[in-house]
Amino acid sequence: MTHLLEVDKVGKTYAMGGILGSHRVRAVENVSFALEAGRPEIFTVIGESGSGKSTLARMILASVPPSDGAIRFEGQDVAAIKSRRDRLAFMKRVQPIFQNPFEAFNPLKKVDRYLFMTARRFNGVSRRDEVERQADEALRKVGLSLAEVKGRFPHELSGGQLQRIAIARALIPGPALIVADEPVSMVDASLRTSIVNLFMTLRDDLGVSIIYITHDLATAYYISDRIIIMQKGEVVEAGDARTVLADPQHPYSRELKAAVLSPDAAITGSALAETDAATLEPT
Amino acid sequence: MHGYGQYILKRLGQFVLVVFVGISITFFVTHLTPIDPVETTISAAAAFGSTSPEAIAMLRETLRELYGTEGNVIQQYVTFWGRILQGDFGPSLSAFPTPVSELIARALPWTIGLLVTATIIAWVLGNILGGLAGYYRSNVLLKMSGVLAMGLHPIPYYIVAFVLLILFAYVWPIFPLSGGYRMNLAPRWDATFILSVLYHSILPALSLILVGLGSWFMGMRALVSNIVTEDYVQYAELGGVNRRRILSRYVMRNALVPQMTGLAMSLGAIFNGAIITEEVFGYPGIGSLLVDAVHAGDYSLVLGITTISIVSVAAAVLIIDLAYPLLDPRVKVA
Repeated sequence: MTHLLEVDKVGKTYAMGGILGSHRVRAVENVSFALEAGRPEIFTVIGESGSGKSTLARMILASVPPSDGAIRFEGQDVAAIKSRRDRLAFMKRVQPIFQNPFEAFNPLKKVDRYLFMTARRFNGVSRRDEVERQADEALRKVGLSLAEVKGRFPHELSGGQLQRIAIARALIPGPALIVADEPVSMVDASLRTSIVNLFMTLRDDLGVSIIYITHDLATAYYISDRIIIMQKGEVVEAGDARTVLADPQHPYSRELKAAVLSPDAAITGSALAETDAATLEPT
Repeated sequence: MHGYGQYILKRLGQFVLVVFVGISITFFVTHLTPIDPVETTISAAAAFGSTSPEAIAMLRETLRELYGTEGNVIQQYVTFWGRILQGDFGPSLSAFPTPVSELIARALPWTIGLLVTATIIAWVLGNILGGLAGYYRSNVLLKMSGVLAMGLHPIPYYIVAFVLLILFAYVWPIFPLSGGYRMNLAPRWDATFILSVLYHSILPALSLILVGLGSWFMGMRALVSNIVTEDYVQYAELGGVNRRRILSRYVMRNALVPQMTGLAMSLGAIFNGAIITEEVFGYPGIGSLLVDAVHAGDYSLVLGITTISIVSVAAAVLIIDLAYPLLDPRVKVA
């Protein structure tokens, strides 16, 4: 079986400090996992802030080169992506979604421009009506339409709308993998579930694999297929999401679970799964 | 555009109010000073030999009428507004009977030429260097220019001005000590005169740029280092948009919005800066004129200069307020 993404003993060390002496900080250490091609899944990376999960995301997105190990996407080493053409080809297959929807778009530009530019750059379409059709199609997948968004500036839209537009933008090139770095942590609770539900729809209907980076155990438990728990740059536990979260082995995982979930976690967890699946289907 | 029209009217109303209040306060403050220009002139005249009390009383009467200072303060205030609305600041009291407007018109080009140019050069250079330093943070040369700008910034302006003057006009006299052009030249539009003006303006301009640059540099660098971490910049970088385009379109463009406000404010306020610059460098502009007017108790001239300064600061704020909704869509007009 071929790998869609292969993270192979990856590590990242930052040199901190200035002229007067520096020290090295290990942000990520010896992380390995792989996503299979043709089997879309939601792969969750969970950990507290400073655990190295965002650095890992940046390395997968080829924005930061790893210090050790290698990351291969569809067999190609992402560290070798240098030219603009390679970047575009890579971004067509791997799209990011960021944490803060209010920062995802330039406040001085209309948001529809981003959707149109994405269609032009990645899909090579130039005719106005075709560009608009693709933007509208992507927006409909996230429960919006071009009519609602056209001509609006970011400040005229809500955080939930902006985050869904960001997801629509990520869908336009037709990616195989979406790297979502804390996509719901800045969105209010009522929208959180609709966005993670959207991820499940993307996996099931569009066959997109998602690397879901979060510190939120409840949504992780709800949507993940597989999970890794990171602490201080290292993976402390990995495996099937339900198994790991139902019965964590590593002391840190237990601590994490105890800190976030109330004693009736199991009930909350399953109740959440049932109600959400029933009521919060994306429209 | 109905909302924008209303917004313009509201801002224009504020502009008129600010100018009215500002000028009124200046009028009353200048008229409360113990210096009386009529008495100053009389004592100068009486100093030449003996003059009879009747002659002095007559002289006083005539001067009051000429200077427009008869009647009480309120009456003077009304006549003053009547004249100002016609653009007439009356005759200067110290250079009687030259009109104040003529004295100002003579000095204004010097001040505007020197200070506006220097302010704009400092703004452009500071923003470009600050933007580059914020974006290419590991560049050693830009880091050093940052240290230099920060080191220079807290030194008071007049110290920098005097140091430049001592170094380049006295110790190593390659620039003139004072003046706006060579003494024996007559102001004329020819190469000799223009070159002489440029040559005389180098030191004062340099002092203004050195001191002004630092704050623009630091402001822009801070703005840029904030914007660089925003997700839309990250996304553009991931998408392979070339770095120069990111810097100009995504980063600088967004950082320029607050910097524009700063520029308009400093352009409006150049008359304040003019006083020190022109005194130190003996430059024939509005600042020197104002200082002379204050010493001579020439409140017509003081009022004229202050009025121009109030109107220009208020106009700068007005222009920025009107332009802001066009620069930044987040500014609500309603």
